[in-house]
Amino acid sequence: MDKEVKIYSTPGCPYCKMAKEFLLKKGVEFIDYDVKKDKEALKEMKKISGGAIRVPVISLCNEVIVGFDRGRMEQALSCLKQSSKIE
Amino acid sequence: MAKVTIYSTDGCPFCGKAKSFLAEKGISYDGIEVQSGSGAWEEMKKKTGSGSLPQILIGDEPVGGYSDLVHLEASGELSRKLGLPEEGKGTPLYDVIIIGGGPAGLSAAVYAARKVLKTLVVSKDIGGQVAWTYDVDNYLGFSQVETADLIAKFEDHVEKYGMEKLVGVEVKALELTGKIKKVTTADGDSYLAKTLIIATGKRPRPLNVPGEKELTGMGVTYCSTCDAPLFEGLDVAVMGGGNSALEAVFDLMKVSPKIYMVSLTSVTGDEILQDKVMSSSKVEIFTEHKILRIEGETEVEGIEIESLKTGETKKLSVQGIIVEIGLLPNSELVMDTVETNRMGEIIVDSRCHTGVSGVFACGDVTDVPYKQIIVAAGEGAKAALAAYDYIIKQR
Repeated sequence: MDKEVKIYSTPGCPYCKMAKEFLLKKGVEFIDYDVKKDKEALKEMKKISGGAIRVPVISLCNEVIVGFDRGRMEQALSCLKQSSKIE
Repeated sequence: MAKVTIYSTDGCPFCGKAKSFLAEKGISYDGIEVQSGSGAWEEMKKKTGSGSLPQILIGDEPVGGYSDLVHLEASGELSRKLGLPEEGKGTPLYDVIIIGGGPAGLSAAVYAARKVLKTLVVSKDIGGQVAWTYDVDNYLGFSQVETADLIAKFEDHVEKYGMEKLVGVEVKALELTGKIKKVTTADGDSYLAKTLIIATGKRPRPLNVPGEKELTGMGVTYCSTCDAPLFEGLDVAVMGGGNSALEAVFDLMKVSPKIYMVSLTSVTGDEILQDKVMSSSKVEIFTEHKILRIEGETEVEGIEIESLKTGETKKLSVQGIIVEIGLLPNSELVMDTVETNRMGEIIVDSRCHTGVSGVFACGDVTDVPYKQIIVAAGEGAKAALAAYDYIIKQR
Protein backbone atom coordinates (compact mmCIF):
# COMPACT_ATOMS: atom_id res chain seq x y z
CA MET A 1 0.00 0.00 0.00
CA ASP A 2 1.16 3.49 -0.83
CA LYS A 3 1.65 5.03 2.59
CA GLU A 4 2.73 8.44 1.38
CA VAL A 5 0.27 11.21 1.96
CA LYS A 6 0.11 13.54 -1.02
CA ILE A 7 -1.72 16.79 -1.37
CA TYR A 8 -2.24 18.52 -4.72
CA SER A 9 -2.88 22.22 -4.24
CA THR A 10 -2.72 25.72 -5.69
CA PRO A 11 -1.17 28.70 -3.87
CA GLY A 12 -4.38 30.78 -3.92
CA CYS A 13 -6.58 28.10 -2.41
CA PRO A 14 -7.62 28.55 1.24
CA TYR A 15 -9.09 25.04 1.45
CA CYS A 16 -5.72 23.60 0.40
CA LYS A 17 -4.00 25.52 3.16
CA MET A 18 -6.61 24.40 5.68
CA ALA A 19 -6.15 20.79 4.61
CA LYS A 20 -2.37 21.09 5.03
CA GLU A 21 -2.76 22.70 8.44
CA PHE A 22 -5.14 19.93 9.42
CA LEU A 23 -2.52 17.32 8.52
CA LEU A 24 0.24 19.26 10.31
CA LYS A 25 -1.90 19.46 13.46
CA LYS A 26 -2.42 15.70 13.33
CA GLY A 27 1.34 15.21 12.95
CA VAL A 28 0.97 13.61 9.52
CA GLU A 29 3.81 14.14 7.07
CA PHE A 30 2.82 14.84 3.49
CA ILE A 31 4.20 15.83 0.11
CA ASP A 32 2.72 19.02 -1.28
CA TYR A 33 2.45 19.44 -5.05
CA ASP A 34 1.76 22.92 -6.41
CA VAL A 35 -0.22 21.98 -9.49
CA LYS A 36 -0.25 25.56 -10.70
CA LYS A 37 3.47 25.18 -11.45
CA ASP A 38 3.99 21.44 -11.62
CA LYS A 39 2.15 20.22 -14.73
CA GLU A 40 3.29 16.61 -14.26
CA ALA A 41 1.70 16.64 -10.82
CA LEU A 42 -1.47 18.13 -12.31
CA LYS A 43 -1.62 15.23 -14.76
CA GLU A 44 -1.11 12.76 -11.94
CA MET A 45 -3.75 14.50 -9.85
CA LYS A 46 -6.29 14.22 -12.66
CA LYS A 47 -5.36 10.58 -13.20
CA ILE A 48 -5.76 9.41 -9.61
CA SER A 49 -8.93 11.41 -9.02
CA GLY A 50 -10.75 10.31 -12.15
CA GLY A 51 -10.33 13.64 -13.86
CA ALA A 52 -10.91 16.11 -11.04
CA ILE A 53 -10.36 19.77 -11.89
CA ARG A 54 -10.61 20.90 -8.32
CA VAL A 55 -8.15 21.31 -5.47
CA PRO A 56 -7.20 20.16 -2.98
CA VAL A 57 -6.91 16.52 -3.97
CA ILE A 58 -5.53 14.44 -1.13
CA SER A 59 -4.30 10.93 -1.55
CA LEU A 60 -3.82 8.87 1.58
CA CYS A 61 -4.24 5.25 2.52
CA ASN A 62 -5.31 4.17 -0.99
CA GLU A 63 -8.05 6.75 -0.82
CA VAL A 64 -8.35 9.88 -2.92
CA ILE A 65 -10.33 12.75 -1.44
CA VAL A 66 -11.34 15.66 -3.66
CA GLY A 67 -11.95 18.86 -1.69
CA PHE A 68 -11.24 19.53 1.98
CA ASP A 69 -13.64 17.38 3.94
CA ARG A 70 -12.66 17.08 7.60
CA GLY A 71 -14.97 14.15 8.26
CA ARG A 72 -13.50 12.06 5.44
CA MET A 73 -9.94 13.12 6.32
CA GLU A 74 -10.46 11.94 9.93
CA GLN A 75 -11.73 8.59 8.68
CA ALA A 76 -8.91 8.19 6.23
CA LEU A 77 -6.38 9.05 8.94
CA SER A 78 -7.72 6.37 11.25
CA CYS A 79 -6.89 3.90 8.50
CA LEU A 80 -3.37 5.34 8.41
CA LYS A 81 -3.04 4.72 12.14
CA GLN A 82 -4.33 1.17 11.77
CA SER A 83 -1.86 0.32 9.06
CA SER A 84 1.05 1.52 11.17
CA LYS A 85 -0.16 -0.69 14.02
CA ILE A 86 -0.13 -3.72 11.75
CA GLU A 87 3.54 -3.31 11.00
CA MET B 1 -20.90 20.29 49.25
CA ALA B 2 -18.19 22.64 50.45
CA LYS B 3 -19.31 25.95 51.92
CA VAL B 4 -19.05 28.99 49.66
CA THR B 5 -18.51 32.48 51.03
CA ILE B 6 -18.61 35.74 49.07
CA TYR B 7 -17.31 39.01 50.37
CA SER B 8 -19.03 41.77 48.45
CA THR B 9 -20.34 45.28 48.59
CA ASP B 10 -23.23 47.21 47.11
CA GLY B 11 -22.67 48.78 43.73
CA CYS B 12 -19.89 46.38 42.73
CA PRO B 13 -20.87 44.88 39.37
CA PHE B 14 -18.66 41.80 39.59
CA CYS B 15 -20.01 41.02 43.07
CA GLY B 16 -23.49 40.87 41.60
CA LYS B 17 -22.27 38.76 38.70
CA ALA B 18 -20.52 36.29 41.00
CA LYS B 19 -23.65 35.92 43.11
CA SER B 20 -26.00 35.40 40.18
CA PHE B 21 -23.51 32.98 38.63
CA LEU B 22 -23.61 30.84 41.78
CA ALA B 23 -27.38 31.17 42.04
CA GLU B 24 -27.79 30.04 38.43
CA LYS B 25 -25.72 26.97 39.12
CA GLY B 26 -27.82 26.23 42.21
CA ILE B 27 -24.83 26.74 44.52
CA SER B 28 -25.79 28.30 47.87
CA TYR B 29 -23.41 30.74 49.51
CA ASP B 30 -22.93 32.99 52.50
CA GLY B 31 -22.73 36.63 51.50
CA ILE B 32 -20.75 38.96 53.72
CA GLU B 33 -21.17 42.69 53.19
CA VAL B 34 -17.88 44.53 53.33
CA GLN B 35 -17.07 48.21 53.72
CA SER B 36 -13.53 49.39 53.12
CA GLY B 37 -11.66 49.44 56.44
CA SER B 38 -14.42 47.55 58.30
CA GLY B 39 -13.84 44.49 60.44
CA ALA B 40 -15.26 42.24 57.72
CA TRP B 41 -12.84 43.78 55.23
CA GLU B 42 -9.89 43.08 57.56
CA GLU B 43 -11.14 39.49 57.96
CA MET B 44 -11.41 39.11 54.18
CA LYS B 45 -7.92 40.46 53.62
CA LYS B 46 -6.56 38.06 56.19
CA LYS B 47 -8.30 35.04 54.68
CA THR B 48 -7.72 35.81 50.99
CA GLY B 49 -4.70 38.06 50.93
CA SER B 50 -6.59 40.49 48.70
CA GLY B 51 -8.47 43.72 49.29
CA SER B 52 -10.41 43.79 46.02
CA LEU B 53 -14.04 42.79 45.73
CA PRO B 54 -15.58 40.34 45.38
CA GLN B 55 -13.53 37.62 47.06
CA ILE B 56 -14.80 34.09 47.01
CA LEU B 57 -13.88 31.25 49.36
CA ILE B 58 -14.68 27.60 48.79
CA GLY B 59 -14.36 26.03 52.21
CA ASP B 60 -11.27 27.82 53.51
CA GLU B 61 -9.65 28.12 50.09
CA PRO B 62 -9.66 31.56 48.49
CA VAL B 63 -10.39 31.19 44.77
CA GLY B 64 -10.33 34.86 43.74
CA GLY B 65 -13.04 36.94 42.07
CA TYR B 66 -15.72 36.52 39.45
CA SER B 67 -13.46 35.76 36.46
CA ASP B 68 -11.60 33.14 38.48
CA LEU B 69 -14.93 31.52 39.24
CA VAL B 70 -15.76 31.44 35.56
CA HIS B 71 -12.42 29.84 34.72
CA LEU B 72 -12.88 27.22 37.43
CA GLU B 73 -16.25 26.30 35.99
CA ALA B 74 -14.95 26.19 32.42
CA SER B 75 -12.12 23.84 33.40
CA GLY B 76 -14.42 21.58 35.45
CA GLU B 77 -12.44 22.42 38.60
CA LEU B 78 -15.38 24.08 40.31
CA SER B 79 -17.36 20.86 40.76
CA ARG B 80 -14.29 19.13 42.13
CA LYS B 81 -13.56 21.90 44.60
CA LEU B 82 -17.18 21.91 45.73
CA GLY B 83 -17.12 18.14 46.11
CA LEU B 84 -19.96 17.74 43.60
CA PRO B 85 -20.25 14.62 41.47
CA GLU B 86 -19.05 15.01 37.87
CA GLU B 87 -21.92 15.62 35.51
CA GLY B 88 -23.58 12.41 34.34
CA LYS B 89 -22.94 10.93 30.94
CA GLY B 90 -26.60 10.48 29.99
CA THR B 91 -28.13 12.70 27.32
CA PRO B 92 -26.76 16.06 28.36
CA LEU B 93 -28.93 19.13 28.12
CA TYR B 94 -26.90 21.93 26.60
CA ASP B 95 -27.60 25.53 27.39
CA VAL B 96 -26.98 26.34 23.77
CA ILE B 97 -26.28 24.46 20.55
CA ILE B 98 -24.69 26.58 17.86
CA ILE B 99 -25.12 25.38 14.30
CA GLY B 100 -22.42 26.70 12.03
CA GLY B 101 -18.67 27.25 12.29
CA GLY B 102 -18.14 30.51 10.42
CA PRO B 103 -17.38 33.86 12.06
CA ALA B 104 -20.94 34.20 13.41
CA GLY B 105 -21.06 30.73 14.94
CA LEU B 106 -17.54 30.83 16.37
CA SER B 107 -17.99 34.29 17.82
CA ALA B 108 -21.24 33.08 19.43
CA ALA B 109 -19.27 30.12 20.81
CA VAL B 110 -16.68 32.38 22.43
CA TYR B 111 -19.34 34.55 24.04
CA ALA B 112 -21.34 31.53 25.17
CA ALA B 113 -18.22 30.02 26.74
CA ARG B 114 -17.46 33.26 28.56
CA LYS B 115 -20.98 33.21 29.98
CA VAL B 116 -20.23 29.65 31.10
CA LEU B 117 -23.08 28.24 29.06
CA LYS B 118 -22.85 24.54 28.36
CA THR B 119 -22.23 24.82 24.67
CA LEU B 120 -22.07 22.49 21.66
CA VAL B 121 -20.99 23.63 18.21
CA VAL B 122 -22.17 21.53 15.28
CA SER B 123 -20.77 22.41 11.89
CA LYS B 124 -19.97 21.03 8.49
CA ASP B 125 -16.76 23.02 8.42
CA ILE B 126 -14.76 25.70 10.18
CA GLY B 127 -14.51 29.14 8.64
CA GLY B 128 -17.60 29.03 6.47
CA GLN B 129 -17.58 31.52 3.64
CA VAL B 130 -14.38 33.13 4.89
CA ALA B 131 -12.56 30.32 3.10
CA TRP B 132 -13.94 31.40 -0.25
CA THR B 133 -11.39 34.12 -0.77
CA TYR B 134 -7.67 33.97 -0.41
CA ASP B 135 -7.11 36.92 1.86
CA VAL B 136 -8.98 39.51 3.90
CA ASP B 137 -8.02 43.12 4.49
CA ASN B 138 -11.04 44.61 6.23
CA TYR B 139 -11.24 42.71 9.50
CA LEU B 140 -10.26 44.97 12.38
CA GLY B 141 -6.75 44.29 13.60
CA PHE B 142 -5.72 42.59 10.36
CA SER B 143 -4.80 44.94 7.54
CA GLN B 144 -3.97 41.91 5.42
CA VAL B 145 -4.36 38.29 6.43
CA GLU B 146 -4.69 35.01 4.56
CA THR B 147 -8.11 33.58 5.24
CA ALA B 148 -6.72 30.19 6.23
CA ASP B 149 -4.65 31.93 8.94
CA LEU B 150 -7.61 33.99 10.12
CA ILE B 151 -9.75 30.87 10.35
CA ALA B 152 -6.98 29.10 12.30
CA LYS B 153 -7.00 32.02 14.73
CA PHE B 154 -10.79 31.80 15.12
CA GLU B 155 -10.47 28.08 15.79
CA ASP B 156 -7.65 28.50 18.31
CA HIS B 157 -9.67 31.12 20.15
CA VAL B 158 -12.65 28.79 20.47
CA GLU B 159 -10.37 25.88 21.35
CA LYS B 160 -9.09 27.85 24.34
CA TYR B 161 -12.42 27.35 26.05
CA GLY B 162 -12.37 23.62 25.42
CA MET B 163 -16.02 23.40 24.46
CA GLU B 164 -17.59 20.48 22.67
CA LYS B 165 -17.50 20.64 18.89
CA LEU B 166 -18.78 18.35 16.19
CA VAL B 167 -16.99 19.39 13.02
CA GLY B 168 -17.61 17.73 9.68
CA VAL B 169 -21.11 16.90 10.85
CA GLU B 170 -24.25 17.82 8.97
CA VAL B 171 -27.50 18.66 10.73
CA LYS B 172 -30.47 16.83 9.25
CA ALA B 173 -33.41 17.98 11.38
CA LEU B 174 -34.30 20.56 13.99
CA GLU B 175 -37.16 20.67 16.46
CA LEU B 176 -37.52 24.27 17.50
CA THR B 177 -40.93 24.87 18.99
CA GLY B 178 -40.75 23.00 22.32
CA LYS B 179 -39.05 24.33 25.41
CA ILE B 180 -36.23 21.87 24.78
CA LYS B 181 -34.78 22.10 21.27
CA LYS B 182 -33.59 18.99 19.46
CA VAL B 183 -30.83 18.77 16.86
CA THR B 184 -30.52 15.60 14.81
CA THR B 185 -27.42 15.01 12.71
CA ALA B 186 -27.10 13.10 9.44
CA ASP B 187 -25.64 10.17 11.44
CA GLY B 188 -28.91 9.99 13.35
CA ASP B 189 -27.51 11.26 16.67
CA SER B 190 -29.65 13.68 18.67
CA TYR B 191 -28.67 16.53 20.96
CA LEU B 192 -30.84 18.59 23.30
CA ALA B 193 -30.56 22.22 24.29
CA LYS B 194 -32.39 25.05 25.98
CA THR B 195 -31.53 27.43 23.15
CA LEU B 196 -30.36 27.24 19.57
CA ILE B 197 -28.22 29.63 17.59
CA ILE B 198 -28.49 29.21 13.84
CA ALA B 199 -25.38 30.50 12.11
CA THR B 200 -25.43 28.38 9.00
CA GLY B 201 -24.37 31.09 6.54
CA LYS B 202 -24.77 30.90 2.81
CA ARG B 203 -23.66 28.67 -0.02
CA PRO B 204 -23.04 29.34 -3.69
CA ARG B 205 -26.24 29.44 -5.68
CA PRO B 206 -26.22 26.52 -8.09
CA LEU B 207 -27.17 26.85 -11.74
CA ASN B 208 -29.75 24.05 -11.47
CA VAL B 209 -29.19 22.81 -14.99
CA PRO B 210 -28.64 19.28 -16.29
CA GLY B 211 -25.02 18.17 -15.96
CA GLU B 212 -24.12 20.50 -13.11
CA LYS B 213 -24.20 18.02 -10.24
CA GLU B 214 -22.55 15.24 -12.21
CA LEU B 215 -19.66 17.43 -13.35
CA THR B 216 -18.98 19.39 -10.16
CA GLY B 217 -15.28 19.01 -9.49
CA MET B 218 -14.82 17.66 -13.02
CA GLY B 219 -14.73 21.07 -14.64
CA VAL B 220 -17.58 22.80 -12.81
CA THR B 221 -16.33 24.82 -9.85
CA TYR B 222 -17.56 27.44 -7.39
CA CYS B 223 -14.11 28.45 -6.09
CA SER B 224 -12.32 30.58 -8.63
CA THR B 225 -9.34 31.42 -6.41
CA CYS B 226 -8.76 27.69 -5.85
CA ASP B 227 -9.35 26.22 -9.25
CA ALA B 228 -8.76 28.90 -11.91
CA PRO B 229 -5.06 27.89 -12.29
CA LEU B 230 -6.15 24.35 -13.16
CA PHE B 231 -7.79 25.61 -16.34
CA GLU B 232 -4.51 26.49 -17.98
CA GLY B 233 -4.82 26.00 -21.71
CA LEU B 234 -8.56 25.30 -21.44
CA ASP B 235 -11.51 27.37 -22.63
CA VAL B 236 -13.78 28.32 -19.77
CA ALA B 237 -17.22 29.87 -19.23
CA VAL B 238 -17.87 32.07 -16.23
CA MET B 239 -21.49 32.27 -15.16
CA GLY B 240 -22.56 35.55 -13.59
CA GLY B 241 -22.21 39.28 -14.11
CA GLY B 242 -21.16 40.72 -10.75
CA ASN B 243 -17.82 41.39 -9.10
CA SER B 244 -17.11 37.76 -8.24
CA ALA B 245 -17.71 36.75 -11.84
CA LEU B 246 -15.47 39.56 -13.12
CA GLU B 247 -12.72 38.49 -10.71
CA ALA B 248 -13.01 34.92 -11.96
CA VAL B 249 -12.66 36.13 -15.56
CA PHE B 250 -9.68 38.22 -14.52
CA ASP B 251 -8.01 35.17 -12.89
CA LEU B 252 -8.63 33.13 -16.02
CA MET B 253 -7.21 35.78 -18.37
CA LYS B 254 -3.76 34.71 -17.14
CA VAL B 255 -4.21 31.05 -18.07
CA SER B 256 -7.07 30.40 -20.48
CA PRO B 257 -7.03 31.02 -24.24
CA LYS B 258 -10.77 31.84 -24.40
CA ILE B 259 -13.18 32.97 -21.70
CA TYR B 260 -16.92 33.39 -22.11
CA MET B 261 -18.87 35.39 -19.58
CA VAL B 262 -22.57 34.52 -19.45
CA SER B 263 -24.94 36.67 -17.43
CA LEU B 264 -28.71 36.91 -17.01
CA THR B 265 -28.40 40.69 -16.67
CA SER B 266 -25.94 43.26 -17.90
CA VAL B 267 -22.50 43.23 -16.27
CA THR B 268 -22.76 45.05 -12.94
CA GLY B 269 -19.41 44.82 -11.18
CA ASP B 270 -16.84 47.55 -10.44
CA GLU B 271 -15.98 49.63 -13.47
CA ILE B 272 -12.22 49.22 -13.12
CA LEU B 273 -12.65 45.47 -13.20
CA GLN B 274 -15.14 45.71 -16.08
CA ASP B 275 -12.68 47.75 -18.12
CA LYS B 276 -9.88 45.26 -17.58
CA VAL B 277 -12.08 42.34 -18.56
CA MET B 278 -13.75 43.98 -21.53
CA SER B 279 -10.49 45.18 -23.02
CA SER B 280 -9.14 41.62 -23.26
CA SER B 281 -9.36 40.00 -26.67
CA LYS B 282 -9.71 36.62 -24.96
CA VAL B 283 -13.05 37.52 -23.39
CA GLU B 284 -16.43 37.24 -25.06
CA ILE B 285 -19.48 38.41 -23.10
CA PHE B 286 -23.06 37.20 -23.45
CA THR B 287 -25.40 39.39 -21.40
CA GLU B 288 -29.10 38.57 -21.00
CA HIS B 289 -28.40 34.92 -21.67
CA LYS B 290 -29.26 31.91 -19.54
CA ILE B 291 -27.57 28.54 -19.46
CA LEU B 292 -29.69 25.56 -20.50
CA ARG B 293 -27.36 22.62 -19.90
CA ILE B 294 -23.81 21.48 -19.37
CA GLU B 295 -22.60 18.85 -21.80
CA GLY B 296 -20.15 16.04 -21.16
CA GLU B 297 -20.11 12.60 -19.55
CA THR B 298 -17.04 12.53 -17.33
CA GLU B 299 -15.70 15.97 -18.12
CA VAL B 300 -17.14 19.27 -19.25
CA GLU B 301 -17.31 19.50 -23.04
CA GLY B 302 -19.53 22.52 -23.52
CA ILE B 303 -22.60 24.49 -22.56
CA GLU B 304 -25.76 25.53 -24.31
CA ILE B 305 -27.03 29.06 -23.70
CA GLU B 306 -30.19 30.88 -24.72
CA SER B 307 -30.76 34.56 -25.38
CA LEU B 308 -33.49 36.00 -23.14
CA LYS B 309 -34.33 38.53 -25.87
CA THR B 310 -34.53 36.42 -29.00
CA GLY B 311 -34.79 32.86 -27.64
CA GLU B 312 -31.89 31.95 -29.90
CA THR B 313 -29.70 29.15 -28.56
CA LYS B 314 -25.98 28.71 -28.98
CA LYS B 315 -23.43 26.04 -28.06
CA LEU B 316 -20.08 27.03 -26.62
CA SER B 317 -17.23 24.57 -26.47
CA VAL B 318 -15.61 24.85 -23.03
CA GLN B 319 -13.77 22.50 -20.69
CA GLY B 320 -14.43 24.45 -17.53
CA ILE B 321 -17.24 26.41 -15.86
CA ILE B 322 -16.90 28.77 -12.94
CA VAL B 323 -20.21 29.56 -11.25
CA GLU B 324 -20.51 32.99 -9.63
CA ILE B 325 -24.23 33.76 -9.60
CA GLY B 326 -24.66 34.75 -5.99
CA LEU B 327 -25.50 32.99 -2.78
CA LEU B 328 -28.34 31.13 -1.10
CA PRO B 329 -28.96 31.20 2.66
CA ASN B 330 -28.71 27.82 4.38
CA SER B 331 -32.12 28.17 5.99
CA GLU B 332 -33.97 25.13 4.61
CA LEU B 333 -34.01 23.32 7.96
CA VAL B 334 -35.97 26.10 9.65
CA MET B 335 -37.96 27.42 6.69
CA ASP B 336 -41.25 25.99 7.99
CA THR B 337 -40.85 27.22 11.55
CA VAL B 338 -39.19 30.63 11.49
CA GLU B 339 -40.00 33.61 9.38
CA THR B 340 -37.80 34.24 6.35
CA ASN B 341 -37.72 37.03 3.78
CA ARG B 342 -38.17 36.51 0.06
CA MET B 343 -34.48 35.68 -0.30
CA GLY B 344 -34.86 32.92 2.27
CA GLU B 345 -32.92 34.81 4.92
CA ILE B 346 -34.07 34.32 8.51
CA ILE B 347 -35.74 37.46 9.85
CA VAL B 348 -34.30 38.49 13.22
CA ASP B 349 -34.84 41.45 15.52
CA SER B 350 -32.08 43.65 16.86
CA ARG B 351 -31.27 40.94 19.45
CA CYS B 352 -31.04 38.07 16.98
CA HIS B 353 -34.41 36.60 18.04
CA THR B 354 -36.09 34.61 15.31
CA GLY B 355 -39.61 34.86 16.65
CA VAL B 356 -39.52 31.27 17.93
CA SER B 357 -38.82 31.36 21.65
CA GLY B 358 -35.26 30.29 22.49
CA VAL B 359 -34.15 30.21 18.85
CA PHE B 360 -31.65 32.80 17.69
CA ALA B 361 -29.91 33.38 14.38
CA CYS B 362 -26.89 35.38 13.31
CA GLY B 363 -24.57 36.04 10.39
CA ASP B 364 -25.20 35.73 6.68
CA VAL B 365 -28.16 33.37 7.05
CA THR B 366 -30.15 36.27 8.53
CA ASP B 367 -31.69 39.37 6.95
CA VAL B 368 -29.14 41.61 8.71
CA PRO B 369 -27.65 43.80 5.96
CA TYR B 370 -23.96 44.06 4.95
CA LYS B 371 -22.55 40.56 4.74
CA GLN B 372 -19.11 41.10 6.20
CA ILE B 373 -16.92 38.96 8.47
CA ILE B 374 -16.89 41.61 11.15
CA VAL B 375 -20.66 42.06 11.02
CA ALA B 376 -21.18 38.31 11.29
CA ALA B 377 -18.81 38.11 14.26
CA GLY B 378 -20.64 40.96 15.99
CA GLU B 379 -24.02 39.37 15.35
CA GLY B 380 -22.71 36.06 16.73
CA ALA B 381 -21.71 37.80 19.95
CA LYS B 382 -25.17 39.34 20.19
CA ALA B 383 -26.91 36.02 19.61
CA ALA B 384 -24.94 34.36 22.42
CA LEU B 385 -25.67 37.21 24.84
CA ALA B 386 -29.34 37.12 23.89
CA ALA B 387 -29.40 33.35 24.44
CA TYR B 388 -27.81 33.90 27.85
CA ASP B 389 -30.44 36.51 28.77
CA TYR B 390 -33.16 34.13 27.66
CA ILE B 391 -31.80 31.31 29.83
CA ILE B 392 -31.56 33.58 32.87
CA LYS B 393 -35.16 34.73 32.42
CA GLN B 394 -36.39 31.13 32.17
CA ARG B 395 -35.23 30.35 35.70
